[in-house]
Amino acid sequence: MGTSVWMILRANFYSLVCWYKNNKWLLVSIVIWPYLMSFVILAMGVLYGSLESFKERLSIANPVLYVLTTSAIAMSSVGIIDAVANFTIYHRWIGTLPYLVMTPTKTYKVLLFSSIPESMINITLSVVAIIPAVAYFEGLLGVAKVTMVLLIVYIGMMPLLGLSILIASFTLGIKGEEDVASSLTPFILLVSGVFYPIEILPRILQYVSTIMPTRYVIEVARILATYAIPEAKLLFALLYLLAILTIGYNSISALTLRSIEKWAKKRGGI
Amino acid sequence: MGLAIEARNLVKKYVSYERRGFLRRRKLIVEALRGVSFSVKKGEVFGLLGPNGAGKTTTIKIIATLLIPDGGYAKVLGHDVVEEAEKVREVIGVALSVEKGFFWALTGRENLKYFGMLRGLKDHELEQRMEYVIRLVGLDELNAADKPYEEYSLGMRARLSLARALLPNPPILLLDEPTVGLDPPSARTIRNLLVDLAHKENKTVMVTTHNMFEAEMICDRVAIINEGKIIAIGRVPDLKRMVSNRVAIELIFSTPSTSLNTIEEKVSRYLSISEINVEPLKEGKAKIRIIGKPGEEEIIASKVIEILYSMNVKVHHVHVQEPTLEDVFILMTKKGGEKWVRVFG
Repeated sequence: MGTSVWMILRANFYSLVCWYKNNKWLLVSIVIWPYLMSFVILAMGVLYGSLESFKERLSIANPVLYVLTTSAIAMSSVGIIDAVANFTIYHRWIGTLPYLVMTPTKTYKVLLFSSIPESMINITLSVVAIIPAVAYFEGLLGVAKVTMVLLIVYIGMMPLLGLSILIASFTLGIKGEEDVASSLTPFILLVSGVFYPIEILPRILQYVSTIMPTRYVIEVARILATYAIPEAKLLFALLYLLAILTIGYNSISALTLRSIEKWAKKRGGI
Repeated sequence: MGLAIEARNLVKKYVSYERRGFLRRRKLIVEALRGVSFSVKKGEVFGLLGPNGAGKTTTIKIIATLLIPDGGYAKVLGHDVVEEAEKVREVIGVALSVEKGFFWALTGRENLKYFGMLRGLKDHELEQRMEYVIRLVGLDELNAADKPYEEYSLGMRARLSLARALLPNPPILLLDEPTVGLDPPSARTIRNLLVDLAHKENKTVMVTTHNMFEAEMICDRVAIINEGKIIAIGRVPDLKRMVSNRVAIELIFSTPSTSLNTIEEKVSRYLSISEINVEPLKEGKAKIRIIGKPGEEEIIASKVIEILYSMNVKVHHVHVQEPTLEDVFILMTKKGGEKWVRVFG
């Protein structure tokens, strides 16, 4: 009989729907989170400077919209890393990991596909949450831009999944419950240009940022928020880089996950 | 009757590291299994008994494809647990811990549906099986199926765990201490259910436990495992026959000011008998159980009472009984118990 990839995706989508149905306040907090984050960033920015200089430095028309969009993307990125990289730790903690591994199919398939529904829902909720604000500031054109951002983030999710699976493989191999992802997330966001422009980071971090998929997603969001008509050439260049990272990360992670799965089963890590 | 499970010379070592200073660490190797062999026939309830750390859970995890052995092999319905892990997973239902293993915010029914989908059950079949197993384990009587898992009592969790194992209707059930920590009515329900599943639905049930009473009640055959080795295997009456020419003398006494180990040592030295077990009871009492030869009961009891009185310990009751499976277990798993090791057919 065996379990198909479709059944793995469906089961995990079902559990998430039930989770949100039973935790409505959690859903509300996810929706208002980009607004809270934007408010804090803008408030701190106004304390030390002015919105005008911010607009000038980043060449953007609407700083509120820009911060909202980048906040939503940052939230999506954190959501993906959290859903994928913390997957094994979370399931080990609640005791469900052995039952997932005992699914009658290849273990790496279960570990690979189980966290995709959560990643997709996290992205969708974070980006869709800012639609009312975007519609208010920019009307239908803004909504169209956000839809494009959502699509770009979905594309950006592909290499990020690979990166997160690498982290998940590492946590599967270790016996304890070290929260590797939580320590790495702020660093990933830092070198992705979420908090500060990449140009002001030390040279070594600038090099690291070139292999961070989130950097290109943020760049795309910046283009969309800055110009009325996106610079098609630059946009395609960024998508091209994302595609390269997708192939690179996912090939390495698929190979790693299979060998680490065997190693974990030898060490008693499951 | 064919074999449902076959394990031959299973060896498993765990490696851990002990930190000794800032950079130095020492490698520690724990031999969890040291050549474990046994077989389980189709349709029987097979018990794997052993004290904590004996290797019960390691054995069940290898059979459930969660661990790869360092040596030997195990087969389930003829499928190798390492080479054909997916085929093995299709024919087993597993319950590893009754305390956790479900999503806390989901109801029992939602959890079952999730794990049923993961097992590849189609919608209609899944709904039917869910209703059946919920009724079978008695979650419907407790009105628990639609309650969030976080509100479940330990008894309800154990039932849900068994329901999940039964959901895909597997021919083989692997259950790791399914009644540990349960109240007597819940434990009884689970035990009766396991016997019914084996004898009425022809399921093979392999259960680990350190509850001898439970093993005696439900198991067709048992294997006693200690320090990673099977030290006895056979039907319960066969194992009990090993001590059939013996009697068990049990004395209940007030907890002394000295340690129970001191009492055990003193009695053992005075009577020159090693088959002694002392354990604390509730309400400031303790129990000493001695295996002796028939006809020596009175002498043994009077000598023990004498020793206890000399230590200002009050004796409440003295019983003489036939030895139980627990006595067999204690004799074999105690230091120096190797002389009792037996393998029956």
